Amino acid sequence: MICYIISLVLKDPDIKRLKKEFGHQRVFMEKIVKQSLLYDFYGELLTKHQRQIYEDAVFNDMSLSEIADNYDITRQAAFDLIKRCDKALESYECKLGMLERFDKIKSYTAGILKVSEELKKKSFDNSKEAEEISDLAENILDVL
Amino acid sequence: MVKIRLRRMGKKKAPFYRVIVADSRSPRDGRCIEEIGTYDPNTEPATVNINAELAKKWLDTGAKPTEIVTRLFKQAGIE
Repeated sequence: MICYIISLVLKDPDIKRLKKEFGHQRVFMEKIVKQSLLYDFYGELLTKHQRQIYEDAVFNDMSLSEIADNYDITRQAAFDLIKRCDKALESYECKLGMLERFDKIKSYTAGILKVSEELKKKSFDNSKEAEEISDLAENILDVL
Repeated sequence: MVKIRLRRMGKKKAPFYRVIVADSRSPRDGRCIEEIGTYDPNTEPATVNINAELAKKWLDTGAKPTEIVTRLFKQAGIE
């Protein structure tokens, strides 16, 4: 698949269009990542039982039948619970948008860091200020 | 049964995964038989690092990878 995408890029360097076309694949790859990010933000709002099972599914990559065996519930119940948690977390994100904001701040700050690094290389006189800027950007990334 | 699965490491809001080989009967206690790689979605694009030799060895012995690990293997060129 990746080779296929690369060959397409070589033929047609319109990466924006390709991203749009193959975007679904990336989203699919990172489902577990998105779930755990949402959990990091809103996991405390789930019940203890939900948290335990959701953590097993998302942090430990356990299958439905393994979860069902561990907690003495049916596979269907495990599936429903995880689905319900997904929905709850998504709805919190819809209303509060903390993950989206986090992503934006992170990418903007990374941009600042990159620019200040370039500035450090270019100008000898302003390197102290550039150093300060990159320190501050790093601080922001740390506390995010 | 022996399974190849992901385990999440890393701090809050910065997930990072290890690809581990573990017994499916003792999944919660954190023990694993062997660590065979990592998956870091924080970089753009995500970095997949898998020891192909170990992966092949475990696949040959009959360890079963989870869905997402199967995809990661494919990405890393391991069949």
